[in-house]
Amino acid sequence: MRIVLGVLEPDGGTVRWKGRPLDPATRARFGYMPEERGLYPKMRVADQIVHFARLHGVEASEARAAAARWLDRLGLAEVADRRTETLSLGNQQRAQLGAALVHDPELLVLDEPFSGLDPVGVDVLSEVLRDRARAGVPVVFSSHQLELVERLCDAVAIVRDGRVVASGRVAELRAQRGARRWRVEVAGARPDWVSAVPSVLVAHTDGDAVVVELAEDADEQALLDAARRAGRVRRFAPVEPTLADLFREVVA
Amino acid sequence: MIGTGRAIRLVARREIVERIRERSLWVSTGLTVLVLAGVLVLPSALGFGGATKATVATVGPDAAAVARQAVAQQKAFDVELSVRRVGSAAAAQKLVRDGDADVAVLPGGRGLLAAHDADDSVVAAVQSGSQAARGGGLPPPLPVRTEGGESDSNRQGIAFVAVVILYGQLLGYGFWVASGVVEEKATRVVELLLSAIRPRQLLAGKVIGIGLLGLGQLLLIGLFGVVIGAAAGQLDVNGDVAVAVGVVLLWFLLGFALYSCAFAVAGALVPRQEEIQSVTAPLTIVILASFFLSFGALDDPGSTLARVLSLVPPSAPMVMPVRLIAGDVPVWEVALAIALTLAAATALIGIAARIYGAAVLRTGSRVTLRAVWRAAGEQTAARR
Repeated sequence: MRIVLGVLEPDGGTVRWKGRPLDPATRARFGYMPEERGLYPKMRVADQIVHFARLHGVEASEARAAAARWLDRLGLAEVADRRTETLSLGNQQRAQLGAALVHDPELLVLDEPFSGLDPVGVDVLSEVLRDRARAGVPVVFSSHQLELVERLCDAVAIVRDGRVVASGRVAELRAQRGARRWRVEVAGARPDWVSAVPSVLVAHTDGDAVVVELAEDADEQALLDAARRAGRVRRFAPVEPTLADLFREVVA
Repeated sequence: MIGTGRAIRLVARREIVERIRERSLWVSTGLTVLVLAGVLVLPSALGFGGATKATVATVGPDAAAVARQAVAQQKAFDVELSVRRVGSAAAAQKLVRDGDADVAVLPGGRGLLAAHDADDSVVAAVQSGSQAARGGGLPPPLPVRTEGGESDSNRQGIAFVAVVILYGQLLGYGFWVASGVVEEKATRVVELLLSAIRPRQLLAGKVIGIGLLGLGQLLLIGLFGVVIGAAAGQLDVNGDVAVAVGVVLLWFLLGFALYSCAFAVAGALVPRQEEIQSVTAPLTIVILASFFLSFGALDDPGSTLARVLSLVPPSAPMVMPVRLIAGDVPVWEVALAIALTLAAATALIGIAARIYGAAVLRTGSRVTLRAVWRAAGEQTAARR
């Protein structure tokens, strides 16, 4: 992210945007939220956001209007004239977001934008990001809150030791992995019926059901047959891996 | 991306606006004015320094009698007179013009010649002596003519106050540059700034903004100083003072151009405010040394050492103003000092921009100049 924004020099390679290598003029139209949060502590919130808008080339009057709009949207209108350092950390985070959004960027790069936000802040930010994406602005953000990512993102990339180890739409990633976990509910069966099935790797009971993980080359039909022999099969369904499961698998 | 001029203006404007809002700026302005007022007003108000010492030149016996009477009454006027007899009115005039005598009593005690800056109480004591010598009622006071320019001591005093203010302002505003740079580093706001503008623009805007603020504050202090001094009767608002204010303003600009970029580089090397003192120590020492060296120029503005120090950076911004105010400096020397200081500042700004760009994003721990210099070279190579 820092390389995209030109804050760090790449060791190799180039960053391209719309097919052309990035230059400072294009970068200035991007919106950026660094992982290391930073605003001027003594500056008033509104002044600060206006300042950043103007550094990105927005004219004075439009900068003031845009700052007011975003402060309102982010729920900071009441603290607009307070010094930034007097705000709660959550509100400082929102102000940071305001500084990234105020110049109506054509690409948003946000490093861990959700960390440190309360649930209401998470909702506000999620809605803002969805809204930007709907407006055609690509939003790239990093996060460890994978449930949120799963809910919000069209596509993900998992990075390990500085390299992308998996990337694509979440559904595609799931499909690649294949459904190897099944949830089976069998009425009237002995509790250990599943231990007799040969290709079962792991199994644990979950209420009335058993969650089973099959070996890679196993056939789920064999599991179904075994279940039917054990009793009445009420449910037999693949367990969709969560993004967290995918993450664990590719990073492990 | 916005143009360089606009980026610099925006950064400079923020520096000025935000700092004007800080109470500390007004406290420091107020304190400086108070100290200045103290220097100007207190000595006379408290009667410091005891009796005013003065020399009275006399021509002929009548004049000597006037001086004798004046000496007899000197306690009442809080003055301490020493008398010099000279042979002619011309010789007395020369003494007064050269600042070796404050007042001359002319032949026959028919008139007084007072130096431009002669103390009023000295003149009053001599007038009273003349009345006593002539006796009989209250004869009218003698006609007084003033002679010559101000003595060196007056100009020395102005030069001293000027260099103290200049020193404080250069050091104080240099520190502001350094701590401003560290603030942006420590709060990490610099990363956000540099995603919008170039390091050189940020550096230039910061230095120019803080410099303009320093200039404005000096102007305000100078104005207050002149008004207070004039009101207290300690300062003749004359050419010397105007020259002194002008000289201080000009050399603040030149000195700030020279030192401020070095302060910015020092600030860029450290991650926390706590480390500013140690990293700026070499700069502080250079400025302090220049300050003390300027005292030599105060005593003898024409000495070889003072002349050399007033020409070369880094001492020129403090030694040259002293020579300009306290003595007479050939135009070519002033021009040379300005040219050398500007040349040094230009070179330093180039180096500073390069180092600052490489150092300012290293927020983790303190970095050495050498490491940053190498990194700057690699960055430049990578951009090619």
